[in-house]
Order: sequence, then structure tokens, then C-alpha cells
Amino acid sequence: MDTAQDTGTRRTVKLLIVDDSNIVRRRIERSQQFDDLEVVGTAANGIEALELARRTDPDLVTMDLTMPQMDGIECITQLVRLKPEVRILVISALADKATAVEAMERGANGFLNKPFTDRQLNEAIAELMY
Amino acid sequence: MLREEELKTFVDGTTRYFEVAAQQPASIGSPYLLEGEPAMHDYTGMINVSGKREGVVYFTAPRAMLTVLLMKMQESDFSHESMRDLVGEVANTISGNARRDFGHDFVISVPSVFAGEKPQINRPTGARAFVIPIHWRSHSAKLVVSLT
Amino acid sequence: MLLSGADRNRRLLTAAAGILLAAVMGLVLIVGFRLATQIRASVGTLQQASELEAYPSAISEQLTALRQRLDTLEYTGHVHGELDSSVRGFNRDFTVLEHQKGLDPAAMHAATALWGNYTPVLAKVLSYHGEPYSDTATNSSLSRSGRVYYAHVRRAELFAQANAAALHGELALVSASLQARTAAAASRLRWLLSGGVLAVLLLGLAAAYLQVARGRGERAARDAQDQTRDILATVREGLFLLDADYRIGAVWSQALTSMFGRSDFAGLTFEELLRDKVPPETLNTAMKFIKLLWGERAHENLMKSINPLGQLEVSMDNGRGGKETRYLQFDFHRVMGPKGVKHVLCAVGDITSSVLLARELHEAQENAHSQLDMMVGMLHSDPLQLGSFLDSASAGLKHVNAILKEPARTHAEFSKKLAGLARELHSMKGEASALNLMSIAQRVHHLEDMLAELKGRSELTGNDFLPLVLKLDELLAHLRGVREMTLKLSSLREQPDSPEGTISAPALRSATAGPEELTATLQSLARKLAQDHGKDFTLALTGLAQCPPAYLGTLKDCLIQMLRNAAVHGIEADEVRRAGAKNGGGQVRVEFRRVESGYELTFEDDGAGLSPEALKEAAVRKNLLSEEQAAQLDNRAALALIFKPGFSTRNEVSMDAGRGAGMDVVARAVYGLGGRIGVSTNPGRYTRFKIALPAVDETAVA
Repeated sequence: MDTAQDTGTRRTVKLLIVDDSNIVRRRIERSQQFDDLEVVGTAANGIEALELARRTDPDLVTMDLTMPQMDGIECITQLVRLKPEVRILVISALADKATAVEAMERGANGFLNKPFTDRQLNEAIAELMY
Repeated sequence: MLREEELKTFVDGTTRYFEVAAQQPASIGSPYLLEGEPAMHDYTGMINVSGKREGVVYFTAPRAMLTVLLMKMQESDFSHESMRDLVGEVANTISGNARRDFGHDFVISVPSVFAGEKPQINRPTGARAFVIPIHWRSHSAKLVVSLT
Repeated sequence: MLLSGADRNRRLLTAAAGILLAAVMGLVLIVGFRLATQIRASVGTLQQASELEAYPSAISEQLTALRQRLDTLEYTGHVHGELDSSVRGFNRDFTVLEHQKGLDPAAMHAATALWGNYTPVLAKVLSYHGEPYSDTATNSSLSRSGRVYYAHVRRAELFAQANAAALHGELALVSASLQARTAAAASRLRWLLSGGVLAVLLLGLAAAYLQVARGRGERAARDAQDQTRDILATVREGLFLLDADYRIGAVWSQALTSMFGRSDFAGLTFEELLRDKVPPETLNTAMKFIKLLWGERAHENLMKSINPLGQLEVSMDNGRGGKETRYLQFDFHRVMGPKGVKHVLCAVGDITSSVLLARELHEAQENAHSQLDMMVGMLHSDPLQLGSFLDSASAGLKHVNAILKEPARTHAEFSKKLAGLARELHSMKGEASALNLMSIAQRVHHLEDMLAELKGRSELTGNDFLPLVLKLDELLAHLRGVREMTLKLSSLREQPDSPEGTISAPALRSATAGPEELTATLQSLARKLAQDHGKDFTLALTGLAQCPPAYLGTLKDCLIQMLRNAAVHGIEADEVRRAGAKNGGGQVRVEFRRVESGYELTFEDDGAGLSPEALKEAAVRKNLLSEEQAAQLDNRAALALIFKPGFSTRNEVSMDAGRGAGMDVVARAVYGLGGRIGVSTNPGRYTRFKIALPAVDETAVA
């Protein structure tokens, strides 16, 4: 019987994970502990990320900065142009603060340093989800 | 381990004294590590350091150098007492410099002065002494820094 | 200062009370003035009315007096005059009264009518101007006109007697109505004044209450201000607000003064504050970072990690005229107003002690690492060799100090020392690396670097040598530590049955390492070497379990040395391997097996192999051979050069290889066990060492 009810429950947040490392992608996917978060795609570079973003219409994107083909800074710029309301969490091991600040200037909403703990990841996602 | 800036502070305190008192800067010679008994000239001004570092710092100079220094300072009294006062003053300047730079960490005693007699020096065990020759005009004195 | 809501309300109320008070006072004054004017006019009228009341009887009396005088033939002129002025007066006053408003209309009407009847009667009397008497010598009598006059007077007297009371009555009524009206106005004025006074009293009370309340509010505000000031004077953080133009607000905490050595913060821009303290790029990044806080996208909590001013090194006055290095941490927080971000709160903390603590921890860790390295190096080296190295190193450093001690004043004199120092240190570094005493080798290496740097200077003074002598001191302390540890180790190694002071190396080794541990050690060393040198290779070990315990220690030393050589000299860098069409990473293969005559160890790497010509060249360069001697060597003999003491094929110096003390030590160890060592190679393909060891008497070992 179809008794789908939207009232009272929060809409599922759609997450897109962008990182060139397979290990990091799986780590993020595995570590997030939200029932109302759905991973709609993972991308290994900026170009893939943009294509997936067009198709899956994510609410939240975790973004690496140093990636082949199209780096995170460029990807953030285009992503924000494509979907101004999307929230972007940069997850990077970059020690260079100037680039990190630039990522934020381009429209990222937050920055999480690699390596990160599960707790740090979940707190950061929660901050951006609600 | 003694840090370079600490050693520099003591060295600067010494050379500065010559520059200020006699308007003629002293230069420092080739520094080396003291082996065996400390070498002493005729007059020695010494400060004891405790706190973060333990040990002694002293300035020792021959009578001839001090005499010329007094002359350059327009003094006419070349007595034993004047000589003692002078090395005490140098030690005082060194201690002032050190207080300025590491006041927090160092406790520095008032200078004690020795002349002729073999001074009682309580060098801490394990601390080597750095000898820095101080050249001024044709004379040479020594700054010895021995701190843990 | 901020006004609280309650405070603002109180202020508004006070103002309202003041305005109301002024309005009431104005109203009372205006109305009161009008009432008073009205009353004054009424009182005047009332007076006229009362005066009029007296006229009717006066007129009657004057007419009677006039008639009696005519009866007695007395002089009438002045009485006639008085009557005339009475009538005129009445007319005048009555006309005035008629124009007054608010009089009793009926009475007024009646009075007017009555006076209208009076007028013709009196007019006849007053119009007489003749002589009433005709005089003869003996007697007087009324003249003819006098008689007419008399008749008029008499009629008027009778008319007046009949009507005076009525007229008086009407006029009294008019008066009474006027009086009532005045009384009413007076009473209104009284009420008005009472009401005004009451209103003023009430408003005054209200104002007084509000004033007290406001006083209380102001006191509270002043207290709050005092407390804020106390907090700002005491708090250890530097606190201030930045506005949208990055300017510092008027309120800031005292701690800033000592942090920045100034006190003119209000109105200063953030850029001006940090211009001299921060490199321009960092400041630029910091300004962009703060700008993000004014935007809406960035989440404050998720950008702490990219704060470019998280740990800023600044030089500060230490309060005694000197300078000291402190570390500051800037934290930024949004301050929200009704229309988004209002300010950015900046908190500056002095984190010097925690930075220094972290550094000390790090240094301690490094120290522990280097001590561990040293231990490993010492465990791998022959104790006798180690002892002799330490002796020669001490002698070398004595010599170094002696070179330093030679007096020097000029650049030339200082410069001359450098060559001698470099020579001493270089040979010491060579020996330390050969013995794998990396902690020592690194320190000497560092000293060599310092010397090289000094060599490039155009002007040398004693000051330039200060760091050198400090480093020398540190090296001496380190050597002393190594010597102490050697003594401790040798006491561990001592065997009860061995003569005192001699060191039995195999005893310690067999006690510490079995074949499994050896395998683990070699694999971990292989990984470390691969990482340190950027080489990609795997190590395959077989048959080590068959190694008799008596050989294990020596075998371990040999394998470590060969593995090191293979990693540094043998296995090529990735790109070289690919260019040589070799597939994937390198292979190092170690096989230990029993053979008829005893044991055989094969050590093989699929690396660059050995070039006999290169080995010969190197030997000539190192003065181990003359060129003629080298030319006569065949390939086999050339390969054997590798076992010659002091041979190395690498010019460039690195920590793991360089002086190639490796293979001569291995060869000597093998000979020491009564074994043989051989090498074969195919340039570009492989290098293979074969070591043959004699059988051991198992029972003797067990």
C-alpha cells in the first residue's frame, strides 16, 4: 500500500563526494552517520563532479582540492555557478592557507583538514546540513 | 644546550661595554671550548646564573688592557681598586643585557670580582665552557660562558 | 553605550510627561487668562449696574427738591443742574450697560421701556432755561414761564415717585444677573486652577518617579560600563571589534597594548595593526579570510582550520627594554545584528607557552628517535670498531677545538681555519656513516654545511664562528652519550666466562635475534630504504630458518649492509628502470640453504649491476690503485675491488651510502667465520653475491 508521507520528516539530504582517492571516498561514505543523508554519487575529479552534480542535483558536496584534470578550486567556481544553493565542504590536506581561503572565496562553505576523525567529519556535515 | 642567541647576548654585552665606555668597539676572536682549568688574566668579573640555566659567566682581562681602557675613559686613577671596579662594571653590563633578554628565565647574581687570586668557580658538572676571546686595540681578554 | 529596551521606554515616558506638563500649564494659563478678563469686565459692569440703581431715587429726590424750591421761591439753578447731570449720567451708564452681553434680557427690556417713559417727562423739565420768578420791589412771584416749569416739575415728580421703585427693581434684577454671571466665572476659574494644580502635581509626581527610575537605570548602566571596563582591563586576551571597513572599534582590551606595543587602536585598520608584524602574503590571506566572515556562505565553525593567523610569531617588548619572541593566535567570530553580520570580534591570545611546549615535545620525540637510531646503529656495529671510532672522533674534535683556539682577528686568519676544520670533520663523518652511526653522521654533516656556508662569505669575524662552536659542543655531548651507552651495552654483552673487558659480539646477537626477527628487521629496513631513496623494490627471503644460531648475528650484519648497498647502488630509480624496459619494481632475493660443505647464502638484486670499468676508475680516483695497475686488472679482479677497504663508487654524499664501507666489512666478517665471498654481475641486469660458510658443530653451539 502506498502511504508515503512527507509531513514531519526532514527531506533526505543528497551528498556528492569528490576526491581523487578511492580510499578517502570510501572513508567519507562509511563514516557519515546520518539517516537522512544519501550519497548520490562519488567523483574522482572536477569534471566528473560537475557532470554528476548536473544529474543528481546534490544538496551537499565534499570536495578535495588537489585533483587531476580539474582541481577543486575550479570545480567549486563552476559548481556554485551551476547550483548557487549547493553547500560545499572542502576536505583537503592542503597546508597552504592562501589556497584554502581562495576555495572559500570561490564559494565553499567550510573547510575540513585531512586527516580527520569520524567525529570531525560528522560535526562538519551536521553544521552544513541543518 | 646553550642557544646561539643566549651566547650572543653575553658577547654583545661585553663588546658593547667597550663601545660605550671607550668609544672604540671590541672585536671577538675565534671562539673555542675550554679544556681543563679556566684561563685567568689579572682581573676577573663574574656573575652566577641560576634558573633555567645554571652556571657562571665571567670576563677576565690583563692589567695592561684595563689600564688603557681607564685612560681612554679619562680616568687618572689606575689603582688596584679601579681595576677591580672596571671588571665589575663589565660583568654588570653583561648581566644587564642578559636580564633584558631572558629576565623571565634567568636569575642573575650581582657580580663578584677577583684579582690575582685563583677564583672559586663552581662550574656545573656536564657544562662545557665556551671561551670567546675579546680583542680590543692590541690587547686580548676573555669572556667565558659556562652554563648548562 | 548600548541602551536597553527598558531604558529607552523610560526615556520616552519622561519626555511624554514633560510635554504633557507644558501643555496642561499652557491650557490653564490661556483659559485662566480669558476667564480672569471676563470676570474683570463683569465686575466693571456690575459696578455700573449698582450705580444705576441709585439713580431713580436720586432723580425723585432732586425733582422733589426742585418743586419745594419753586414753592418757596428759592433759587433753583443748582438743583436743576444736578438733575441734568443725573439724567445725563444715567443715560451714559445705561447705554454702556445696554451693550453688555449676558444680562437678564427681560429685566433689561423692562428697564429700557421704563426709562423710555421717563425720558419725555424729564426732557420737558430739563428743556427749561428761563427765569422762573418775576421780581417786584416788594414781593416775588412765579413768572409765567415759571408756572409752566413748575407744572412740568410737579408732573415729573409725581411720575418719578410712581415709577422709581419699578425702575430700581428692574435695574436690581440686571445687577443680580450680572452678579450671578461673575460668580459663575469666578467659580470656573477656581475649578480650572484647582484642576491645573492637580494635573501639575500628578505630572510632577510621574516625572519624579520616572527620574528616580531613570537614575536607577543609569546607575545600572554605569555599573555595567564599569564592569565592562574592568573585564577589558583584566582579560588576558586582546579583544576588539572590527567593522565592515576592517577598522577597530572604540572598545578594546588592555592586553593588546603589550601585545602590539601601542595603544592607539580605536579607528586603526586591521591592516595597519599587522603590517609590520606579518609577511604581506599572510596579511593578504588574512584580510580575505576576515572578508569571508562578512559573507553569508562561509560557516564560521568550519573555517577555523584555515585561519592564516592561527599561530603568528611576533617580536615583542619584554618590558625591560629587550625583545622576545611570542606566539599569538587570532580568533575571529561573527557578531550578528538584526541585519546580518554587524561586527567581527577578534580575540588575540598569547599561545607562546603552548607552542614552546609542543616544540619541546617534538624535540624530545626527535631526540628519542635519534637515540633509537643511534642504538640501532650501535647494535649493528662491531663493539671494537665502535670503541676505536669513538676514540678517533674524540681526538678529531680535540684537533678541531685546537684549530678554533688559534688566535684570529682578520678575515684571512679565520678563513684559514675553515679548510682544516672541514678536513677533520669530513673524515669523521665518513667513519660514522660507515659504522651506521647516523645520529653522529648527521651532526657532523650539519657542521660541514655550516663550514661550507662560511666559506662563501667575504668577511669573517669571531661572531660567525659562535654557532660553530655551539654545534661542536653539542656533538661532543652527543659523543659522550654514545660512549656511555656503549659502556652500558658492553656490560650487557659481557659473558661470565670471558675475560674482563673483552667483548663477545655473537653472544649478544644470538641472544637478541632469531631468524623470524631477522626476517622482520630486514623487511622493515627494506621498506625504510625504499621510502628514503624513492626506490620501488621487494625483498624475498628464503631459508633463513636454516641458519645456525652461531651465524645469525654476522649474517644479519652482512645482509643489512648488502641490502643497503642494493637499495642505494643496485636498484635503479623508477624512470631508469622503465627506460631499461624492466617491468615493475625491483627484486632483491636472498636465499640461504644447506649445501654439502656447509651453508650458502645468495644475495641478488635485479638492478644496474656492476661495471668493472667504473669500479676501476673509482679505485684510481680514491688512490687505491695507480692507473697502470688498473689497466692490468681483468673483469674478475676489477669486481673484487668492491671488497677492498675504503672503496666507494658514489661521489655524492648521502647518509646511507657514500663512503661504501659496506662490502669490505662484509668480506671481513665472512672471512672471520672461515667463509668465502664472491660476486658476479651482468651490467644492467643483476648483481649477485655468493657467500659460502663452513658447517658448524651443532653440539658445540647448543
